[in-house]
Amino acid sequence: MSEGGRVYEILFVADPGLEEAQLDELVGQVQGFVEKAGGEVQKVDKWGKKRLAYLVGKHREGYYVLLTAAAGGPMVKEVERRLKVTDGVIRYLTVRVDEELRKAERRKARRTEHEARRRQRTAARAAQVEAQGGVQ
Amino acid sequence: MSAEGPGGRGRTGGRRRDGKRYFFRRRKVCRFCADKIDYVDYKDVKLLQAFVPERGKILPRRMFGTCAEHQRKLTVAIKRARHIALLSFAGD
Repeated sequence: MSEGGRVYEILFVADPGLEEAQLDELVGQVQGFVEKAGGEVQKVDKWGKKRLAYLVGKHREGYYVLLTAAAGGPMVKEVERRLKVTDGVIRYLTVRVDEELRKAERRKARRTEHEARRRQRTAARAAQVEAQGGVQ
Repeated sequence: MSAEGPGGRGRTGGRRRDGKRYFFRRRKVCRFCADKIDYVDYKDVKLLQAFVPERGKILPRRMFGTCAEHQRKLTVAIKRARHIALLSFAGD
């Protein structure tokens, strides 16, 4: 498979102490990382402030931002390296999602097909019983 | 520890006519299969939380009756959620 077709989710937690403007700047910065590494940002989703499940450094809460990006593998390495050294980012996680989502999609399609076929079969059987003069 | 999650234990007991006790265990069905969840998302904290007790442990399959495939996916999803502080590691 070609490298460009991969889709990643980059979820990072920003310092909740940042102001709105600083936060926007940070998000823009991270988007810049992706683009500079040859990726394409497809979606930016700011979840907002959430309570962390445990203390990270001295933070009790964090500002969650989810980026969806299409790129090749080396992009991840580069973006993660930069995230690591960026102030204001307290946690990050990159997950490749295209394969799993595609699999899920396929499974869903197969299931609906199965169900349609089963319905058809039961309908056919019912018609047959009717033709034979109903249930004995 | 309350391990009553989706699937639950579902055990009811009774007594036969000859006085012997018997147990009927309801067969647990994988919730992911039943709800047709194909992709176990690490971002879906509500869903994941239903599968971890307060202490934050990942419980064995027999507790919730998840099928092998979904248990594997669930485990990975929980671990990812832990990393970004959406779920806690063991302990509160």
